[in-house]
Amino acid sequence: MRKVALVGAGVSKFGVRKATYRDLIWEAGKACFDSVPGVRPKDLDGLVVGSVMPERTAFQSHISSLAAEALGIRPSTLSARTEHMCASGTVGIRYAYAFIAAGLADLVMVLGVEKLNQPQGEEAILNMGTGVDREWEAAFGLTAPPCFALAAQRHMAEYGTTEQHFGLVGVKNHTHASKNPNAHFQKGATLDQVLGSRMIASPLRLFMCSPITDGAAAVIVASEERARALTDRPVWIRGTGQALDGFQLTSLHEDYAHWPALKRAGEAAYRMAGLEPKDVDVAEVHDCFAIAEIIAYEELGFCKKGEGGAFVEAGRSDYGGDVVVNPRGGLMGCGHPLGATGVAQAAEVWAQLRGEAGARQVPDAAVGVTHNNSGMGEHVVMIYGRE
Amino acid sequence: MKTYFRATDPYPLEASDWNKLHGFYDALAAGRLVSTRCDGCGHVAWPPRGFCPECASDRYTWVDLPAEGRIHGFTVQHAGLPAGFTGARVFAIVKVDTHRIFSVIIDADPSTVSIGQRVTLAPIRVDDDPKGNARWLPAFRPA
Ligand SMILES: [Zn+2]
Repeated sequence: MRKVALVGAGVSKFGVRKATYRDLIWEAGKACFDSVPGVRPKDLDGLVVGSVMPERTAFQSHISSLAAEALGIRPSTLSARTEHMCASGTVGIRYAYAFIAAGLADLVMVLGVEKLNQPQGEEAILNMGTGVDREWEAAFGLTAPPCFALAAQRHMAEYGTTEQHFGLVGVKNHTHASKNPNAHFQKGATLDQVLGSRMIASPLRLFMCSPITDGAAAVIVASEERARALTDRPVWIRGTGQALDGFQLTSLHEDYAHWPALKRAGEAAYRMAGLEPKDVDVAEVHDCFAIAEIIAYEELGFCKKGEGGAFVEAGRSDYGGDVVVNPRGGLMGCGHPLGATGVAQAAEVWAQLRGEAGARQVPDAAVGVTHNNSGMGEHVVMIYGRE
Repeated sequence: MKTYFRATDPYPLEASDWNKLHGFYDALAAGRLVSTRCDGCGHVAWPPRGFCPECASDRYTWVDLPAEGRIHGFTVQHAGLPAGFTGARVFAIVKVDTHRIFSVIIDADPSTVSIGQRVTLAPIRVDDDPKGNARWLPAFRPA
């Protein structure tokens, strides 16, 4: 297999955007091309677009071709859309990686885009129900918050994790987002604010949840030969893993505080990279809800099972700790435009490993992890390393 | 302009014109909880299914499940519900026999719901489908 690297990355402003689906594609595409001087749209040979629900939010299918035309990309080796709910972006990066590693493509953009906000807010939430089983789950009004609330309750009962621990994840990620001009939220948050915010699904409060957000992100993935010609600081894809426990809530591990698929996906990625959790300097994990970040610490091996609450409380997931988790602000601070999230995580690690993350820079970051999930039972992990 | 609403209709099409497993809903309308038992290997599934993951058979027989179970886990959602749904809404995993069934608990003060609580099947009638067929969902209420 050939070595594969990220050579460029760019992110649109995330938020409730006064913009169309195509406007967001242009914004992320522009930012991404600006990051790699010398690469024009027609130099790319492939495009993969991660996008979950443009059929509902923009009444639009045929997404990869739309984005290729919008950006002036003329795919000659690979053109595809990935849909894997909240992990669609990272699943797209894996496709580009595999094509390039196999020698089937050389220079591929992976773009994630979502325009979730609608003129009527409740409709945006109704649309989120497409991510769970329509007949046996969404028909009852289920969306993500109650699923993760069940995990939070189990974690509290089993390990003594507290609302304050969840609150500290919210404070950390909102604080990080305050240093990210592209984040949905930039005002930070205090523990009192987080713990005093309104209850969404017990025990998860508003500031322990990611919001409904519009946004797009793009990265350019390259073969070793192309990467070396384009930049002196390529960010190598060193490992990747994906694993699934199940789709329906009742198909997952009976104890929702345990996410075996995340553990397996992480182990596969570490094995491929020849690295261990202690080697990781920076991690972008899928904090769609505060409990998810706490379980991610554990299943990714940053701490022992059950110690995720204490890990955040001791500052071990923040600057100066063991591993800086979610320096861009995570899904809670940046927002979660589904298909764009995994790509934006990769863009952050790309900037961090090149030393270009500005006020958010993790000192001397050499190894970065991204973790993207679609529900509690489906996980994708990427490991990146600098030269 | 004619209004088409399947794209925002949150309920499945349950009638025999649209759904091979309509037998589940026929039984539910009569107050019974049923599921599929595989004719190939005898595996009883929840939810009902037209293909057996154990032996790959697509032949099945409807069997009755107990109409009673216990709450295995639950959460109360107060805000952020989809269009057409209101809080406080009690989402629960109900253990019926050996099956874990996802559902909602109705006719209960959310503050009194507890893990281990006994609940019974309470079919709820939801909006008719676009052809006027009645539709039901398998909810539960405190026993
Ligand atoms: Zn069978």
